[in-house]
Amino acid sequence: MAQDDISFTDLIASSIHDMKNSLNVQISELEKISDQCKKVGDLQAYEDLGGVIYQANRMNSNLIQLLSLYKLDKAIYPVDIAECSIAEVIEDVLLQNKSVMDFKSITVTMDCSADCTWYIDRDLVAGVLLNALNNAYQYTQDKIRVAAQIQDGCLELRIEDNGQGYPSSMLRDEATAAAKGVSFLTGSTGLGFYFSSQVAHMHKNGERRGVLIIENGGAYGGGCFVVRLP
Amino acid sequence: MSASLAQARILVVDDFQGMRTILRDIVRAMGVTRVDTAANGKEALQMLRGSRYDVVICDFNLGPGLNGQQVLDEARLHDYIGVSTIWVMVTAEKTAEMVMGAAEVKPDEYLLKPINQSILESRLERLIVKKQALRGIEEAIRAKDYAAAIHRCDQLLQADAARPQEFLRIKSDLQLKVGDYDGAKALFESILAVRSVPWARTGLGKVYFHKGDLEAARNTFQQVLDENRMFIEASDWLARTYDALGERVRAQQVLLEAVKLSPNSASRQKVLGETAHKNGDLGVAQAAFEKTIKISEFSSNKNPAAYVALAKVLSDSDAPEEALKVLSRTKGVFKDSTEVAIQAAAVESAVYQKTGQQDLSDAAMAQAEQLLASQPGKLSQDAALEVAQAMLALGRKDQASGLMRDLVKNHHEDTQLSNKVQALFEQAQMGAEGRSLIAESREEVIRINNQGVTLAKQGNFAEGARLLRTALQNLPGSEVVMMNLCGLLIGQMRAQGKSDALMSEVMELLERVRELNPMNEKYRQYMNALHPSGGRGNG
Repeated sequence: MAQDDISFTDLIASSIHDMKNSLNVQISELEKISDQCKKVGDLQAYEDLGGVIYQANRMNSNLIQLLSLYKLDKAIYPVDIAECSIAEVIEDVLLQNKSVMDFKSITVTMDCSADCTWYIDRDLVAGVLLNALNNAYQYTQDKIRVAAQIQDGCLELRIEDNGQGYPSSMLRDEATAAAKGVSFLTGSTGLGFYFSSQVAHMHKNGERRGVLIIENGGAYGGGCFVVRLP
Repeated sequence: MSASLAQARILVVDDFQGMRTILRDIVRAMGVTRVDTAANGKEALQMLRGSRYDVVICDFNLGPGLNGQQVLDEARLHDYIGVSTIWVMVTAEKTAEMVMGAAEVKPDEYLLKPINQSILESRLERLIVKKQALRGIEEAIRAKDYAAAIHRCDQLLQADAARPQEFLRIKSDLQLKVGDYDGAKALFESILAVRSVPWARTGLGKVYFHKGDLEAARNTFQQVLDENRMFIEASDWLARTYDALGERVRAQQVLLEAVKLSPNSASRQKVLGETAHKNGDLGVAQAAFEKTIKISEFSSNKNPAAYVALAKVLSDSDAPEEALKVLSRTKGVFKDSTEVAIQAAAVESAVYQKTGQQDLSDAAMAQAEQLLASQPGKLSQDAALEVAQAMLALGRKDQASGLMRDLVKNHHEDTQLSNKVQALFEQAQMGAEGRSLIAESREEVIRINNQGVTLAKQGNFAEGARLLRTALQNLPGSEVVMMNLCGLLIGQMRAQGKSDALMSEVMELLERVRELNPMNEKYRQYMNALHPSGGRGNG
């Protein structure tokens, strides 16, 4: 390919890919070091590393979202809506985040029957859950609940926390509109909401499409991040 | 962690030193003591040849040389891995290959990076359970006892309703394999009634295709692609359908789209090359055949047809020197195959003929003939057609006719082949000769078959079997002779009692037929006759 054929977005995409690889090695190494710290009883370093790993995970999750959005936009993302065990998808995401949740002593409970299956793109939905968990991690006091059930021909995924909930300004608009609320002050670029609503929208059955809803309440009265997929 | 995982012998394959160490450490931290690592495909295959591994964790992207899928293909081809080996393919990003499901040999699981210990451990635990459930089916499939495999699927579907689609999908593949199109259709339709699932709709399209309803097949495959363009298996079938409909330009368009999304399938590139060549699109054909060769560069399962086809494209593109270069390369790469040497020599002769170098052309043909004489009756369809074409170009009509007569006799009910043979003769302005040759050859085989069947009806099984066995030696590719012999042997066992020798002869014949033509109607009939309950044992 000639040099001037490379578009700027393609360049960004391939760079993201590269950054993601470096980051993965970093995260693995950091987890190893933090394990060591715990073993030798250096709890201060262990706690400090917890924050570092959380940020690295957040970065990784953002990079994955950017890359997926780029590919969805170019219609080169290999969308694969297939029957999946929802409990397995949730378990995997929780395992990925476990060390981070442990650092902050957050109790994560899962409410999903073992035989619950649904048609989803496993990796995209895992990305949505990961983002929602990262978000809940930031705003919860000490509890997060991940629930899934089939209702009215839809899979409903809920991530609830016991924090203060979403500000009313966000709830007034649709969650997708909230995606536009880029705020560098709070660190919210809207990427996670945008990504999640895109992924929800991509899931369709007949004429029905998936939706993303944010609300307050749920089991703990805090923020609820809800995705319904037909 | 389960005991079976701790005792597992695990191979980690990754070209990146850092990643290799991380994965090895993760596996060790899981309590596994027997862990080996390999840095590339070649090293991995050496290790797989040396020891039996229970689990292989392999990066898809292994730098230059074989990629992860090719390592898996090779390992399966050479039986370095068994039915119970768990193969986990690690990738940095989701690719079309992971979705489209066209690969013959699939890994048990794709794992997206980043990978940490808890994730890998939980995946492996699940895979061990799943593998155990599927074991009976996989063993039956490898033993080519498809009836038993289907029966096993049914048992699992009854016992474990947690995730039925996985078993239904395997079952439908098997139904297509043995030609139970009505059963497969009912299965696909029951799934599609609830939701448009791409594999089920693609399967429905295959049923239409096999039943000859090409319009419905085309619409069905097109619908799959409209709903999910990454499901490339549907592209391959759509192209095949267009080809069968005679719309070869459309077929080429579909294939071009497909290789854009998934460029690394040797078989797809080869079909694209063949289609483009027939369309006279020599540039596309050349690129596709070159890519086919490139993809299989490090594989032991190279396809000589792509090399020969590339040479012919180059010759047609008025690049005879390039064509000859490819042919000499072909002979080197496939130096153990007489069949390829024959084809290469025949095409070489045709190339020289085209450039007017008569002496060299004759010499090449003489070489082809000499090789041909060394293995009578074993030539593939393509090679035989290739040689006959070159012979006709040289004006050697009698030799070409002899070769084609044998070919038609071997496949006397294969109208597609008859059409190809006829086209060959038409090209040489010998249409009438071609027609009578084909008719005579067919009649001769029909006569022998009828004799065999008559003898069997008279109870003279031994004599009938002898006649058909001799016929089969001369016509090793004839499905009809094989099936008649099969029927005769089954009849003999009914009349005179079962015998292990006859039974294994029957099974071997049935498998040969299934390989030649999975749609053979008598195949199912005989399989059912052998396993009257529709399935045997529980695998």
